[in-house]
Amino acid sequence: MSDSIRKVCVIGAGTMGAGIAAQVANAGVPVVLLDIVPREGENRNAIAEGAVARMLKTEPAPFMSQAAAKLVETGNIEDHLDKVAECDWVIEAVIERLDIKQGLYAKLEAVKREGTAVSSNTSTIPLANLVEGRSDAFKRDFLITHFFNPPRYMRLLEIVTGPATDAAVAGKVERFADVAMGKTVVHAKDTPGFIANRIGTYWIQLGLNAAFDMGLTVEQADAIAGKPMGVPKTGIFGLVDLVGIDLMPHLQASLTSTLPKDDPYHEIARSHPLIEKMISEGFTGRKGKGGFYRLNRDMGRRKEALDLATGEYREKTSARGPSGRAAKGDLRALVETKGAVGEYAWAILGGTLAYAAALVPSAAADVVAVDDAMKLGYNWKSGPFEMIDRLGAQYLAGRLDAEGKPVPEILKLAGERTFYRVEDGKRQFLGLDGDYHDVVRPEGVLRLADVKLASKPLLKNGSAALWDVGEGVACLEFTGKMNALDGDVMKLIIEAIPLVSSKFRALVVYNDADSFSAGANLGLALFALNIAAYGEIEKLVAGGQMAYKGLKYAPFPVVGAPAGLAVGGGCEILLHCDAIQAHAELYTGLVECGVGLIPGWGGNGEMIDRARKAPMMPKGPMPAVAKVFETVSTATVSKSAAQAKEMLFLRPDDGITMNRDRLLHDAKQKALSLVEGYAPPEAPEFRLPGEGGHVALNMAAQGFRKRGMATDYDMVVSDALANVLTGGEADLVDTVSEQELLKLERETFMRLVREPRTIARVEHMLETGKPLRN
Amino acid sequence: MQVYEAPLRDMKFVLHELHQDDGFGNLEALEEFTPDLVDAVLEEAAKVAQEVLLPLNRSGDVEGCTLENGVVRTPQGFKEAYELFREGGWCALASDPEWGGQGLPESVNKMTEEMICSANLSFSLYPGLTHGGTTAIEGYASDELKQFYLPKMVSGTWSGTMCLTESHCGTDLGMLRTKAVPQDDGSYKLTGGKIFISAGEHDLTENIIHLVLARLPDAPAGVKGISLFLVPKYLPKDDGTPGPSNGVSVAAIEHKMGLKASATCQLNFEESTGWLVGKPNKGLEAMFTMMNTERVSVGVQGLGVGEAAYQSAVWYAKDRLQGRSLSGVKNPNGPADPIIVHPDVRRMLMTMRAHNEGCRAISAWVSRALDAEKHATDPEVKQRAQDFVALMTPVVKALFTDLGFETANLAVQVYGGHGYIAESGVEQYVRDARIAMIYEGTNGIQALDLVGRKLPAHMGRYLRAFFHPVSQFIEANKGDETFGKMIEALEKAFGALQLSTATIAQKGMKDPEEGAAAATEYLRLTGLVAMAYCLAKSALIAQRKLAEGTEEAAFYKTKLTTAQFYFDRILPQATAVFLAIKAGKGSMMALEAEAF
Repeated sequence: MSDSIRKVCVIGAGTMGAGIAAQVANAGVPVVLLDIVPREGENRNAIAEGAVARMLKTEPAPFMSQAAAKLVETGNIEDHLDKVAECDWVIEAVIERLDIKQGLYAKLEAVKREGTAVSSNTSTIPLANLVEGRSDAFKRDFLITHFFNPPRYMRLLEIVTGPATDAAVAGKVERFADVAMGKTVVHAKDTPGFIANRIGTYWIQLGLNAAFDMGLTVEQADAIAGKPMGVPKTGIFGLVDLVGIDLMPHLQASLTSTLPKDDPYHEIARSHPLIEKMISEGFTGRKGKGGFYRLNRDMGRRKEALDLATGEYREKTSARGPSGRAAKGDLRALVETKGAVGEYAWAILGGTLAYAAALVPSAAADVVAVDDAMKLGYNWKSGPFEMIDRLGAQYLAGRLDAEGKPVPEILKLAGERTFYRVEDGKRQFLGLDGDYHDVVRPEGVLRLADVKLASKPLLKNGSAALWDVGEGVACLEFTGKMNALDGDVMKLIIEAIPLVSSKFRALVVYNDADSFSAGANLGLALFALNIAAYGEIEKLVAGGQMAYKGLKYAPFPVVGAPAGLAVGGGCEILLHCDAIQAHAELYTGLVECGVGLIPGWGGNGEMIDRARKAPMMPKGPMPAVAKVFETVSTATVSKSAAQAKEMLFLRPDDGITMNRDRLLHDAKQKALSLVEGYAPPEAPEFRLPGEGGHVALNMAAQGFRKRGMATDYDMVVSDALANVLTGGEADLVDTVSEQELLKLERETFMRLVREPRTIARVEHMLETGKPLRN
Repeated sequence: MQVYEAPLRDMKFVLHELHQDDGFGNLEALEEFTPDLVDAVLEEAAKVAQEVLLPLNRSGDVEGCTLENGVVRTPQGFKEAYELFREGGWCALASDPEWGGQGLPESVNKMTEEMICSANLSFSLYPGLTHGGTTAIEGYASDELKQFYLPKMVSGTWSGTMCLTESHCGTDLGMLRTKAVPQDDGSYKLTGGKIFISAGEHDLTENIIHLVLARLPDAPAGVKGISLFLVPKYLPKDDGTPGPSNGVSVAAIEHKMGLKASATCQLNFEESTGWLVGKPNKGLEAMFTMMNTERVSVGVQGLGVGEAAYQSAVWYAKDRLQGRSLSGVKNPNGPADPIIVHPDVRRMLMTMRAHNEGCRAISAWVSRALDAEKHATDPEVKQRAQDFVALMTPVVKALFTDLGFETANLAVQVYGGHGYIAESGVEQYVRDARIAMIYEGTNGIQALDLVGRKLPAHMGRYLRAFFHPVSQFIEANKGDETFGKMIEALEKAFGALQLSTATIAQKGMKDPEEGAAAATEYLRLTGLVAMAYCLAKSALIAQRKLAEGTEEAAFYKTKLTTAQFYFDRILPQATAVFLAIKAGKGSMMALEAEAF
């Protein structure tokens, strides 16, 4: 048996199967995608090929790069099942029918090598039933891997093993899913719906029932069951629209037929005539003609909501009356709010939390698994037990008891205690033995949140902090809203440099947030512009240039470790790092032109330097400059780390980490690998194309203008960008120093800042979140 | 002695010369109001102010209003003056022609308002409140109400009031209790008591139209449960003549510090019939639309009194002989020199003059924006005008009335002991001016409005309408040969304002009390910079005129010197208020309430 996975086969090219195959390919691993032979047509691979073709057009994209798409080999199960012999893992994602699955497994058994893992992506069928009739050898290699949709973006993977499953086989799959595919594995027991969907379905059912019973509007319900609970703002009805209303009866039928007779789900499972009518008429949610919400294109893209009483669409109301927002995230205050808000909140939260609490240990081994499942599978900010801690376990138990409802054992066990606590800087959870145990992170997982629990910052101000993450590595964290960058961040960087050089070996720039950084604090900048405080703006620009160059030339290696959004100034700081270890989901770019500005913190010079060193870049000053101009003038943002490499924001040898939880650890290792013999880079000298190049770039921009792809003001902004990139007054024979280029960048930036149309763009972006095309 | 001659030359200066480049001009809708026409209107208004209203100012103060058997009588001569005023069309000056108004630009109207306030502040309230009432009705009432009431109110045949305050609530209107009960015919019955109602009852017009804030039976508590109603004193008959009495009675008229010829009434509404203006529970919105325009007008009241006080002081300083000039005898034929020769008297007169000219320049600027807000066709100009008006309204209200009071006070000081005697007429200015700092939102509330609402709105967008012109002016004239020093001083004060703005925005976000603690000083700093900008601009224009050669050299030279005085002796206050702002709330809020 091979202990690593070098090739994977996915059978079933539906949304889930194809998406799983794409994520395997995103990990750089070849994957065979098979489906049945279509009844019609000559192309026997049409289904799998069609799935790949469709995925190349889907947004958000299942593939991280074109190169990844090329790793998918398509075929059909009649002609190509022998390919399974080349694979170390076969993932079955065919229709949820036991007979079909069993039939497939029988065929697989004939072709697969021993030790090749076989897993089912089933969400409803018990493992015991799936392997019925198979050999012991097959059973040893078999497990359930339950992915969430879309597989690239949802981080949860529920793994269920049977009594016969070989731990080594399961371990191999788990390691691959974690490290290569970036999923966080939660172990579930072989019970219906596993963990996330079992709780999620219960939650949705309670939410639907209570809204109908109480006569709430869908907007009211979602305003309570969303943000105020730390749940995505889709709440209940928005979520059902998203996953498909027609899925509801299936889930319900599956759960009612498989759950034990005494499960509380049976009491709440019921169908609503309106929902049945919607499904029968094709109103199945976002994928259908509409759902509880819809965009009415006949009425000028009017946002509408369904009136639950009449079944008619009406304009969506934004004035929802009292919502749960007043509770400000205090769950106790929320469920105790007088009137409909508190009543509805309690109906769903009290019920769901009690239900979730009863699932340990029958469906999940511990509270951590339940919380992880809901946070990663349903994007809840806190898991059920974390919510119970905020509500008070005793409060929940007391209120359930007072209402004559059963109190789950684990709540009794907790008593006055919380399910989580921090002891000696370590996060601990309450075990079923009644004692607290450390939350153990898998090998290679380092969270800044854990470091923060155990230590005090080395430096800290309103917008940034510096932490000791061990082994002589310091971590620079942004802490402002959206991790926006401002003068305080720059100040902290300047203070950090001497500290890190004297007491540490390396620095990583990292934070735990979903967005690495949205760039400069535009709100602050706009306020400064509005009061004509140009001097302050210039100070901020110069301060940022100095801080970033300080990092670049510091006597220790600096590794940037971005995840999620890293744009504008958040991209520029990465350009100044010695190396990058990026999360695969990296959305980075220099987007300043979109708000009528140009990069002002050294991004222009760094990008030119990057481009001229890029492999395949033709020689001479112009090609590199033209490439940067094209990327920056259009405010292009990468849709993955792989794409960021193609766009030159990352170097070819920069690292990519698939699992978000492993990013800090990987970045730290990368930083440590650079320590020995580290010497800061030499300051580059540029040979820039000057006036002639400037004219050429402007002509290229004019082309965009003529095709209607650029506005008049885009021309002004791109002209300013071209001015900097070509070195301003520089002549081809002159060399331009880094400092001279910074000065040119700063002066050009300050000129744009005074333009009313730039101010209008910044203002529009802040007020609407969308760029203004003026 | 109360002396007043309308400062027409300065008014024409601020209207026609000072703000031509502010981007608010050239409004097509106002094309017919040529400079010649505007000047003619101003000259006529000056005559009314000087000849009709000024003579009644002191007599009105002495006599006051009286209440007998539920009837309020204005002082002698007021009724006749009002009649003349109304017949002359002065009530309808700025109103919409659709309702019989003359549609005069606000910029011109504000100058006429200033004249009326200079001549007789008490009198100004009667037409002034009517105008406020018509604004609210125009903006929010049903067409039926508009058709019926506006023509009579615009012409001044009927007058108006604003009934907000109750005995237990003024600033905090959320607490008000007057109730309105819906009737089957769509009208409402209002019951409750209102106090401090200016022009609440009088004998100048045949009917009085009250705009009353009250609560509907099912209204939510607080400010979100207040509705606005139109309640006539006499229920009009269908032919438009006043009919039966509508249950509105005067419980008392207030005995006030000043403004004695204006009847300030306690009104009782007993089952009075009224009609809803605007939407239910949205009364404050309608009231504030009116109040915002009224706030600029109240600012102008401060300026008006300030101007009259200044002129009266100048008259006295030239007339009163006392002591000899320190630089040698100036009046050898008299027993002493007129007191205008003394530096300290000069200090007072120049201060008063600089305040008045500074405020008048701002008044013209803001009222030009009021016109642009209404008539501009370019949406960007319109937006900028709205922003500017929103920002400057609290500044105009509080700065002008603070300075108006200060100026009136200085006038008393110029008069010495005689100023303290009623016959001099100047102590009346102090008493009259005092109320403007209080009503239509106290000046403290204005400062909170500036700091809490206007400053942070849209990431400081309102500020842009003021900060950018000032910044551009400084940059354009920085190295000016003659005015280099003046521009430098402006730049310094402007820098202090920028820094204060940023500090308040930052601190105020974390701790609203910090913003509130700095509010009054911040408003003053804004005012000081605004005056400095206007006066520096005036000086530049004056210098250019003098260089070109002009028959009005005396006027422009005086303008120049007044500006210079402002920069030498008043603008330095900017540093002081800046330091106060910087100090923060610390010592202001440190003591426990028991320690007081």
